[in-house]
Amino acid sequence: MTFLQDYAYYIGAFGLVFIGLFTMLVKRNLIKVIIGLSILETGVNLFLISVGYISKGTAPIFSKTGLKAERMVDPVPQALVLTAIVIGVAVLALALSLAVRLYHHYGVLDLRKIKEQRW
Amino acid sequence: MRSIISFVLLLIITWGISLSLDRIPFGESKTHVGDYYIEKGREETGASNVVTSVVVNYRGFDTLGEVTVLFVAAIGLSAVLYTRRKKQKGEVEPASLVLTTGCRFLFPLILLFGAYIFIHGHLTPGGGFQGGAIIASAFLLVYMGCRGRRISETGSKTVESLSGLIFLVVGLIGLAVGGRYFLFNFLPKGELNSLFSAGIIPIIYIAIGCKVGSELGGIIDRLVEESG
Amino acid sequence: MVSPVLLITVPLGLAFALPLLGLLSRRMVKYIPVAAFLFNLIVALSLLPEAVKHPLVVSIGGFSPPFCINLVAGPVGVLFSALIALAGFAVATYSLRYIESGAQEKYHMLYLFLLTGATGVVLTGDIFNLFVFFEILCISSYALVAYLGDRASIESAVKYLIQGSIGSSFLLIGIGLLYGLFGTLNMADLARQIASASPISIYVPMALMVTGLGIEAAIFPLNAWLPDAHSSAPSSISAILSGIAIEVGLYAVVRVIFTIFGLSSMLMFFVFLGVLTLLIGELCAFSQANVKRMLAYSSIGQIGLVVFAMAMATSLAISGGLFQLVSHTLGKGLLFLAAGYLVYRSGSMEISSLEGLGMRMPLTSLAFTIGAFSIIGLPPFIGFSSKFLIVRAALAQHTVLFTVLVGLVLLGTVIEGAYFFRVVQALYFKKGNGEQKRNDAPVSGLIPMFLLMVLIVVMGVYPALMTDVLHSAASEFLDRIAYIRGVIG
Repeated sequence: MTFLQDYAYYIGAFGLVFIGLFTMLVKRNLIKVIIGLSILETGVNLFLISVGYISKGTAPIFSKTGLKAERMVDPVPQALVLTAIVIGVAVLALALSLAVRLYHHYGVLDLRKIKEQRW
Repeated sequence: MRSIISFVLLLIITWGISLSLDRIPFGESKTHVGDYYIEKGREETGASNVVTSVVVNYRGFDTLGEVTVLFVAAIGLSAVLYTRRKKQKGEVEPASLVLTTGCRFLFPLILLFGAYIFIHGHLTPGGGFQGGAIIASAFLLVYMGCRGRRISETGSKTVESLSGLIFLVVGLIGLAVGGRYFLFNFLPKGELNSLFSAGIIPIIYIAIGCKVGSELGGIIDRLVEESG
Repeated sequence: MVSPVLLITVPLGLAFALPLLGLLSRRMVKYIPVAAFLFNLIVALSLLPEAVKHPLVVSIGGFSPPFCINLVAGPVGVLFSALIALAGFAVATYSLRYIESGAQEKYHMLYLFLLTGATGVVLTGDIFNLFVFFEILCISSYALVAYLGDRASIESAVKYLIQGSIGSSFLLIGIGLLYGLFGTLNMADLARQIASASPISIYVPMALMVTGLGIEAAIFPLNAWLPDAHSSAPSSISAILSGIAIEVGLYAVVRVIFTIFGLSSMLMFFVFLGVLTLLIGELCAFSQANVKRMLAYSSIGQIGLVVFAMAMATSLAISGGLFQLVSHTLGKGLLFLAAGYLVYRSGSMEISSLEGLGMRMPLTSLAFTIGAFSIIGLPPFIGFSSKFLIVRAALAQHTVLFTVLVGLVLLGTVIEGAYFFRVVQALYFKKGNGEQKRNDAPVSGLIPMFLLMVLIVVMGVYPALMTDVLHSAASEFLDRIAYIRGVIG
């Protein structure tokens, strides 16, 4: 049980990664694939944040005098995740615009039917 | 068939990752770099929010890249959705009076809240990206609530370019004067916990906040227009 | 002496300012990438003599590494920056007349961003910064592949985007694992700490990161996106994608394996993978009837050859691999630029429709022929010198296995000759149906082709011009201790 308790965040994060990757590989509708991409990126960000956690630590902001430096979590993964979230949003926006255009041309969003380019 | 192969492949990948995860204990400090930032962050940058000093000052180049990525996505989106046909203004059914008045009332309040978050980025949790996203949600509210109003495209493009240029120029000034490093914190650091402290950090965050807000607003505008 | 930061910030600044300059004057906008990459080329060439002697380490923000991001402008970084600037300048000149429809202002901005991202990847010394600039490169290329807006382009862009973003997520998981295991993101610091780490800590992040970067580098079996993307993009962008983007991806793979993780026992695997990629690329290219798709598969083959060279991990082999990358940029870039106007004038991308164009477009066909001969590896072009270097390095291993592999590489060369000669035959030895008067490419298209042709011939006849740079670049990859000492001390 303590195994689950200790590693709950890792299991949650990689569970999301697993679900996202599975959706991207298996689903046929393009919008579902894009949603899978979003889930995958959320899982990766959750993993990055949980790497930086220090037990019983607090946010690294010195808002009051007297806050000690030993009880603060690592600020670096937070900066990394900030960047990763924005990059994820950017890819999502571009993917959705491509989906709009694709629907315009083909009329369906089924990836099995959108296979105009052969070998 | 495809599901089974994918499932097995993913199981192998997850097993491989978990072997490595064994060596990353949860909840313990693993880094000397993070400790350095917490200890020296206040004196070297002047910001009381250590995450902000990491994002803007120590790893400011990553933030520049991130701003660029968002810009690329906005430009790519409008390039993909580019059409030479004139946009015909369809008949939009106006929303009810309650909804329209409520949105018009909330819009400046949400803008104010977003601006507060990115101006105080070096003192409280938050910063340019968070504030910019809130500003974009104010625009979204107006699009959903009072239909038929649009932001001017030239205005939003100008704000985007100018704010990006301000970020870059502030960094280049550090290259020319000051300590001859790109993104050097050359303005006075001021007193801890006051609004005018931390050198170039508030300036950069204000530029980022405006840029992200107008960019995300522009993306929403383009997509709403696409749906007629 | 200028700071290497300008190599990244000047094109970036011009890209940010481009909409404002476009409001002033619409016609001036297309000259901005040309100016930006001319500047970059001059700066990179002026930094090259200094960088060859010892690498320039520039820290951003004034702090000392590993507590800040630093750029490492060593021989490899500056060589690649010069190559990117050269290709960028040539293709920007070509795009002056080639891009006439669509949202032109946005094309030029995306073009500047793509090459800024590529320059950032090769100059950086921090692994998360590599990820950020790699994303700039990838996202601009997704948007540029979809630029023409027809069915094939959008479909290729969607498939490229999906595969590319899975790769980026794998890269990010690998970076997270590295940070959790070693506590730092600086490449030199990681290299120092990895030397004393257990194998599991090395193999899993390395596998994830190489898979993630390998999707962009188009190593088999991760290259399913490449034929569609490179054939549906506008030809100027195909030249940049084949010539710069996949090479920068390969640079990232080599940097991660050699500098961060150190030479490992996995290199024989990469040797076989390289030869396999080479053969598959060339065989698929042989069976194509569409000229741009053929060139795209040929790029896969060339990348396989470079992987084979780099995985041998001797100084001679890595110099050969880097030289092959230079010759591929020049040769494949020239081929795509020439193919752009050949396809435009003939109206279709099939090889059979190019018949007789040798008479109507003599200079463009000459460019295509020179590019083809360089890629095949015929003297006196640069492709011969680079392939010869790789073969010499492989034979210097003195084992039967490598002699067999060299035989397979030469078999790939023969297949290349076969399909390229098919196109040359169609251009010159078949009579086309249509008007017979000369209607060559416009001047803005001929100047970059001429420039690339001259470089191919000059570097082929005097390869000694590059030997110093290549040898110090190879030793930068192989000598980790010097790299670590240069950055951290």
